[in-house]
Amino acid sequence: MGSRVMAVEGVTKVFEEGRQRIEVLKGITLEVAAGELVALEGPSGSGKTTLLSIVGCILSPSAGSLEIAGTRVRRSDEASLRETRRRSIGFVFQQYNLFPALGALENVEYSLNVRGVRGRAARDEALRVLERVGLGDRLHFLPRDLSGGQKQRVAIARALAGSPPLLLADEPTANLDTAVGAQVLDLFRQLAKSEGKGLLVVTHDPQVRKVADRVVGIRDGRLVEPGERAAEAA
Amino acid sequence: MVSLARRNLFHDRLRFVVTVAGVAFAVTLVLVQVGLFLGLLDKATVTIRNADAEVWVTSRNTPNVDFAHTFPETNVLRARSVPGVARADNLIVAFMNIQLPSGATEGALVYALEDFRRWNLPWRVSAGQPADLKRGYALLMDRSAELRYGRFAVGEYREIQGRRFRIAGTTEDAASFTTTPIVFMDYRTAQELQEQLRGSTNYILVKLAPGADAGAVVAQLRRRLPYNDVFTREEWARRSRDYWVQSTGLGMSMGVTVFLGVLVGIVIVAQTLYTSAVEHIKEFGTVKAIGGSNLDIYRILGEQAVIAAVIGFALGAALSYAARPAMAGLHLNVLISPAFTGVVFVGTVAMCLGAALFSFRRVAGIDPALVFRA
Repeated sequence: MGSRVMAVEGVTKVFEEGRQRIEVLKGITLEVAAGELVALEGPSGSGKTTLLSIVGCILSPSAGSLEIAGTRVRRSDEASLRETRRRSIGFVFQQYNLFPALGALENVEYSLNVRGVRGRAARDEALRVLERVGLGDRLHFLPRDLSGGQKQRVAIARALAGSPPLLLADEPTANLDTAVGAQVLDLFRQLAKSEGKGLLVVTHDPQVRKVADRVVGIRDGRLVEPGERAAEAA
Repeated sequence: MVSLARRNLFHDRLRFVVTVAGVAFAVTLVLVQVGLFLGLLDKATVTIRNADAEVWVTSRNTPNVDFAHTFPETNVLRARSVPGVARADNLIVAFMNIQLPSGATEGALVYALEDFRRWNLPWRVSAGQPADLKRGYALLMDRSAELRYGRFAVGEYREIQGRRFRIAGTTEDAASFTTTPIVFMDYRTAQELQEQLRGSTNYILVKLAPGADAGAVVAQLRRRLPYNDVFTREEWARRSRDYWVQSTGLGMSMGVTVFLGVLVGIVIVAQTLYTSAVEHIKEFGTVKAIGGSNLDIYRILGEQAVIAAVIGFALGAALSYAARPAMAGLHLNVLISPAFTGVVFVGTVAMCLGAALFSFRRVAGIDPALVFRA
């Protein structure tokens, strides 16, 4: 494995609703290295999406530290969080979250525009990553004209565009059938290995376990040791 | 650069059509209504602007050119004696009754001068000559009168104040603010028709000598005619216009119309942009998640508002300009100047951007974490 692209240490997250105080994450420490695919498993309500949101600089942790691509992220500075998202993180969502009015190429190009890459450079990079995910022949298809697997490939291309060192995926195979899901996971695996990306995949899908370098469990806001998970599985 | 704003706008075609139609409706309403109003106001001063007189002497407190009062006609002699006055003549402007062939009686606004040609009145003669007015009981009748009097032809006769007049010719564009048709006749003939006009007049038209100081001449005229008002052409036109705008509530009514037009535009644009923003909320969440800021989303909404404004304005302005010939056929003058069109364009863009502010508030609070919700 390469150098670490993401590290959280002692991260807690507390939500307060009126008088109620809900501690969703309780001192999480986790690292993802370049070229590593880490699967994060856990039941609903275990805190995995909250953790993904914190790692993705969408939520600020209540306590603890976060480091992305070697830079410590200031947790309460919205501009700093946004800049880290823009520069260092690619997202793949369960629902794809493509822009319905834009074709595949434009979906990727637009995300580059948002990240500050414009004109010819954005177009060339968008073409490159779409070719990379095998959609070179679907460049101008609108999302409604693409299959679920193709949509997810566009979403992966969008996440890859601009070469962020860290990719975060939220249940990327949940809406895909087994065969297509396997193809997407294979693609993830290749990306981690050949492009040196760090991948953190939140999932319920047992297929992910097969391709992941490491599987991390989360229960009630705490990471669970591999031994504990094995015992649970038994 | 990919424009998500443009692509989303054209992607939701029906909503786009509704938005543009709303803007176009508001623009048409404002342009046509204000154009009609300005056209009417134009009529309120049409004779003042066309008469070759730099200074008008009126009776005291005459509110506008149509509602004239009398004063001694010999005052003109004092006016002529003022240095800097090239010439001065009496002008009668009086409402009189005209008997129609149908037996009905209508009103006519009579303009009477000794010598019309000296004063460029009437300014557009389409048949006959002003000189014909000296030949017996003759008149020149404006073509716009057909709307009120029915069709007429040169050589026909009409009765005014019970006396038979030959229609010696016709004029164009001479209609008053009240839409009462203007009829031109000889000064002495007009005095014969109404008792109170004998020995009296309504206005003195003053032509300045070349190089004369208008201010000095007006001051002199005011001193020599202390029981009259003296106005420059511009002052008199403004006074006549202001009377109709302020004293009749027309200005207020026009203001309400413009306000309603703008309100309709704002409501339609705000409503469609807002529902569009709500429907695209997850997309905006995605924009934020991939590193976009609220400003990026405001730009999307702002661009959509401006596009709707520009296309809606173009459509509304085209409709308004296209309606002018048809309105002119109904003798309705829709006066739309390029400057006013420019003002409406700026107002339309401001209106649409203002409407987009409602959506700004909605998207400002988008939590990018919503991208993780199924």
